Amino acid sequence: MKGALPRGFRDILPTEARELHAIERTLMHAFAQYGYVPLEPPTVEFAESAVTVDERRTVRFLDRDGRLLALRPDVTTAVARVVAQRYRQADATLRLAYFAPIFREEASMHGSEREYDQAGVELIGDATLRADAEVIALLADALARCGLPAVDIDIGHTGFVDGFIAELPAEARDTAGAAARSGDLVGTVSLARAAGMSAARIAALERGLRHRSTDLAAPRVDAPDRSQRALDTLDALRPLLEAAGVDGAIRFDLGYIPALPYYTGVVFQAIVPDLGFPIATGGRYDGLLARFGADRAATGFGIAIPHLHQALVAAGWQAQAESPLLLLAAHRDDTTTLRVAAALRGAGVAVAIGEVAESAGQDVRRARVIDEAHVEYEGTVRALEAVIALLTGGGPR
Amino acid sequence: MRALRIALAQGTLLAETRVALAAVGLATDALAEGGRRLVVPSADVEYVLARPIDVPTHVAHGAADVGIVGKDVLLESDADVLELVDLGYGRCRFVVAAPAGSVDRSLDEYRHLGSLEVATKYPRVAERHFQGRGLQVEIIKLSGSVELAPQVGLADWIVDLVSTGRTLKENSLAIIEEIAVCTARLIANRVSYARDRERIAALASRLETWAAR
Repeated sequence: MKGALPRGFRDILPTEARELHAIERTLMHAFAQYGYVPLEPPTVEFAESAVTVDERRTVRFLDRDGRLLALRPDVTTAVARVVAQRYRQADATLRLAYFAPIFREEASMHGSEREYDQAGVELIGDATLRADAEVIALLADALARCGLPAVDIDIGHTGFVDGFIAELPAEARDTAGAAARSGDLVGTVSLARAAGMSAARIAALERGLRHRSTDLAAPRVDAPDRSQRALDTLDALRPLLEAAGVDGAIRFDLGYIPALPYYTGVVFQAIVPDLGFPIATGGRYDGLLARFGADRAATGFGIAIPHLHQALVAAGWQAQAESPLLLLAAHRDDTTTLRVAAALRGAGVAVAIGEVAESAGQDVRRARVIDEAHVEYEGTVRALEAVIALLTGGGPR
Repeated sequence: MRALRIALAQGTLLAETRVALAAVGLATDALAEGGRRLVVPSADVEYVLARPIDVPTHVAHGAADVGIVGKDVLLESDADVLELVDLGYGRCRFVVAAPAGSVDRSLDEYRHLGSLEVATKYPRVAERHFQGRGLQVEIIKLSGSVELAPQVGLADWIVDLVSTGRTLKENSLAIIEEIAVCTARLIANRVSYARDRERIAALASRLETWAAR
């Protein structure tokens, strides 16, 4: 097994790593623009701490104390713990951002990675609709800054379907809710029918589950009060999103029901053409923090970086280089070469001496050292200052 | 706009699936019997022909936007897809069966030995069912002719998919429990369902109306 890697783990080679770093910088900068400060959670948690991921999907192992540990399956768990332990008394809102690898156990032969980067934000302690609008606007803004064209943001509300399910007899509610989250809409409707829901209600539920539009009039017909209130919330969200600068990319999608059971309000996902997985998912999860002993309102989102990267590459995106890399052919005198390299680097030019086996997709230029003040660049012997000006944008390229 | 890609289960469902699709106005001539192409462009849709067990995988990964496949396959696959419409045809049942007349004996054995051996082609369905019932069983995964297992002493019971029950009868097996009734389903990729809602919801509504005819 020499040279082999465990299934689902891989080396990220320089070209891709550079691109991922560019994405990380762009996202963390966007998050910071909205006041989100970075949080770096540990790689390992107690296995029982994972709340948002099915325990069978965590990568687990025993440590020497006999405790069952898990590689961090998400960052939300760490955020919840940190808030409960360190910011228990804080009344003000807390804005946290992260970019970190997470680990998920996947069934063998599913073509899935067990380690991948996730970026996201959590807005803790703000139950207002303005907070929902803020994170959705931030997601749209962050993806736009990455250069992702044609992204759609689908916005739903867990209260819409919950309103119908709440009218069922107690014993049918859990099954119907679980069916809806698992994607079995046939099962949800037939459970509702079997539990005696009226034909008008069933029709309204089916109509709602198929509704994706900027308009919310149609799904109101025959919907229960609680579902109406969810629609009121979405109607009130629309002008806030417009004011926050989110353009026409949003759609209200009442058939969007996240698989995880802890969402409690406005939920959303970002999707692009030709990718079968969402780029980002998020929403309000008031009540999750209470499990850690800090009952605070919360909303946020997570971006699956491999999917974002895949969509960017498919759209012809390339990581922007700060400046080209200059490969410097050495002088016979090493001290001269090193002095020239140091002078160029001091002026902001990226320099490698000799040839490189891997340029990682960077823009590469070549120069040859003539003496301590001159190099040959593009067929002409030039003073260092002239070359610096050319390479750092001080003159025509 | 690109064509909506529809994954179809080859085999017993395909004939009725063609009828259903034609009934809701899709061109199905290109799906004629005996064709060997696996990706079949047809007017405004594109069909992908796959083995039933692979249809949920195609759809879950977005290689196809929607698919038509039996609920039996969905129960065994665990794929993350949306189930939109019960199409009604392709009806069959997951059942637990045992050699006729030996049910009492095997339950007696279960009390003594604490475990039963169950042969099946559908280990996930079988495992989930017996877990739900609190019965401890050893699942023996076979690839075919499961009815054979009790006769040759490989297993006490079987979990199998039956439509008429004739095969069971001919092998002196009796149904002792029904696990689920399965029919063909229209399924969709979660993201395709959002992105192509108009087309997919329209297809779902037409198929639903057809299925309720």
